[in-house]
Amino acid sequence: MATKVVMPKLGATMEQGTIVNWFVKVGDRVEYGEPLVEVLTDKVNIEVEAEMDGILLKTCFEADEVVQVHDVIAYIGEEGEVIEDAEGGMLQQASALSKSGAQETAEKFVSKKQPETEPQTKIRRTPAARKLAKENSLSLETVQGTGPKGRIQKADIEEHLRYSLQKTKATPLAQKIAHSNRLDLSQIQGSGINGKIVRDDVLKYANVEKDVSVHAVNKTAFTGMRKVIADRMVQSAYTAPHVTLTSEIDMTNCVNMRKELLPIIEKQNGYRLSFNEIIVKAVAHTLQNHPAINVSLQDDEIIHYSTVNIGFAVAIPNGLVVPVVKNANQKGLAAITEECKTLGSLAREGRLLPDHMKDGTFTISNLGMYAVDAFTPIINQPEAAILGVGRIQEKPMAVNGEIKLRSMMALSLSFDHRIVDGAPAAEFLTDVKDALENPYKLIV
Amino acid sequence: MREITYAEAIREAMSQEMRANQDVFILGEDIGIYGGAFGVTNGMIEEFGPERVRNTPISEAAISGCAVGAAMTGMRPILELQFSDFVTIAMDNIVNQAAKMRYMFGGKAKVPVVIRTPGGSGAGFAAQHSQSLEAWMAHIPGLKVVQPSTPYDAKGLLKAAINDDNPVMFYEHKMLYGVKGDVPEETYEIPLGKADIKKEGKDVTIVATAMMVHKSMEAAKLLEEEGISVEVIDPRTLVPLDEETILHSVRKTGRVIVVYEAVKRGGYGAEIASMIGESDVFDYLDAPIMRLGGRAVPMPYNAFLEQKAVPQVEDIIQACKTIMNK
Repeated sequence: MATKVVMPKLGATMEQGTIVNWFVKVGDRVEYGEPLVEVLTDKVNIEVEAEMDGILLKTCFEADEVVQVHDVIAYIGEEGEVIEDAEGGMLQQASALSKSGAQETAEKFVSKKQPETEPQTKIRRTPAARKLAKENSLSLETVQGTGPKGRIQKADIEEHLRYSLQKTKATPLAQKIAHSNRLDLSQIQGSGINGKIVRDDVLKYANVEKDVSVHAVNKTAFTGMRKVIADRMVQSAYTAPHVTLTSEIDMTNCVNMRKELLPIIEKQNGYRLSFNEIIVKAVAHTLQNHPAINVSLQDDEIIHYSTVNIGFAVAIPNGLVVPVVKNANQKGLAAITEECKTLGSLAREGRLLPDHMKDGTFTISNLGMYAVDAFTPIINQPEAAILGVGRIQEKPMAVNGEIKLRSMMALSLSFDHRIVDGAPAAEFLTDVKDALENPYKLIV
Repeated sequence: MREITYAEAIREAMSQEMRANQDVFILGEDIGIYGGAFGVTNGMIEEFGPERVRNTPISEAAISGCAVGAAMTGMRPILELQFSDFVTIAMDNIVNQAAKMRYMFGGKAKVPVVIRTPGGSGAGFAAQHSQSLEAWMAHIPGLKVVQPSTPYDAKGLLKAAINDDNPVMFYEHKMLYGVKGDVPEETYEIPLGKADIKKEGKDVTIVATAMMVHKSMEAAKLLEEEGISVEVIDPRTLVPLDEETILHSVRKTGRVIVVYEAVKRGGYGAEIASMIGESDVFDYLDAPIMRLGGRAVPMPYNAFLEQKAVPQVEDIIQACKTIMNK
């Protein structure tokens, strides 16, 4: 019996997915566990595997089509099986019983009997419609039929004639301008008597067309990840009152520590330590001492977390994703480095799994690789706060009565004022600053 | 104008012709004192006597042969067949004799016989007394077939049938005998082969016969309220058929439904539909020609099923909406 393949729900928030690519052609055999189709969800590309052996009988959607979760996207079954009413998801078999030779032949016969939907070579129209079209030298191909099965009725021809007649009524001057500018008069809305097109209509249309040609370079569908990011940003920005605290951190000790740890960690696991991981570690370390920040607001409840899971934003071609380092407070820098690097490259390849992005309790958004000093990050809901990281720059600073060049970096902490107040947020930021300026405290 | 019933109009036509022409007489089963199975000949024996109102044995073969023979020898007989279903027994005399004689004798013999007979369902008379078999007779060259739907048409058409020198099958409808309508007292003739537009309209043409004329008129009235304008045409005579009136109407509306009580399969409505399809009005059709006819079942005795077996007002309304894509 043919089995439906549905658009899987790959995450709690997933409502639709985009077909990226079919790995198997219709009519080819597919085996259990073999990749069947690549699907783009809100955040990631996922290979959906076949859940049974069989022939891919039918695919319901092409690449780039957006499909609601649980909608049927394909059918897998035995050769010759008939899928009926694929639209409604109902299917019938030629024979439901065990297959004797005769039955198998019967099945094949039935499936052969199913006519391929023939290309419509003849236009369905009534004699009256055909006659009227002929009298007006009108090609039936240009007329949309409204009768049963799209049959063109006499009224459709009349409507078409009325429409085209009305549309091409123009003053001689308007016609001349349109002609010399190669404009299609039928596209222009007339403002004269009975919709007659006058000079101004043509000029106005010509200007609009120019405007359009300047601005509209390209259009892309506002769906998928872009739409999800948009929805979540709007939801966060307009429901959570954001307050952003900024603080300048002296990173000189961190810079030195990184220099010393870099070869050690690289030797241990082959990954190069960057400031990002040090900041993840410092934030995780501080967060475990500030349970008031490690919370989230969901529905009418404030949830307090015992685990510290730090998400970090990764820019990818069409948006951004936030993979999560779980229990970051319990991990050493080597482990964090390995995890961050692995997640980062998965993210950039579009191969993150929903599990990689689940259960974050705090997010870090690092723009330190750009010429950005400080910014106001938007909280990754339902978390309570987000830390924006600016670039590290050497600046002249007063140290013990002397002016010295120090490696300075700004942190921007946005918090949700519904569940976190200014003082605890400030205390948290102060402790993060302390941890980064005295990184040996992380060892304790 | 004076209102009388369909049965009274037929009686009046016969009586007036009998008064005017001594050659006209009527014969049939129980048409004398009893006045016929449906009372059409009530009182006629009192006026015209048993010589001209002849009660016959119950043998359709015998009495049809008698009528045809009388016609060939110069009389103008009107034979009443009690139920049109019994035409099967009279078939040879009608089909092989009456229909052929004038042609085969090179016009030397005429067969001016009228065979009046009630058809149709609706009275609970079951399968052997409720059929509409007019298509059989319409199939035979040499026979004229008349099917009046109103008292006015019945009187005028019967006079024309009596005065015709060819055999005429005059199909009455048993459910119409009590229907009243305006009928002039003086004699008048409606020529055979002239259809009547019972109601003018512009969206759909309905060609209906006998009882179906009344059902179509009722449907048309209800459809008018929904903005569908129906033209109802009653051909009145199937042979000869007034093609011109039908085609003129279809040319105007572009849509046609043929409604008849006889079994749809092989019924006379098929002939009308084909005639339209073959004509040059084809170019004006804006929808496939539709037929509404009886179901291919022996007429059920059960009153509910009897209704279901033939087109009803609701079916006609539905068909009109379908053909209008509404």
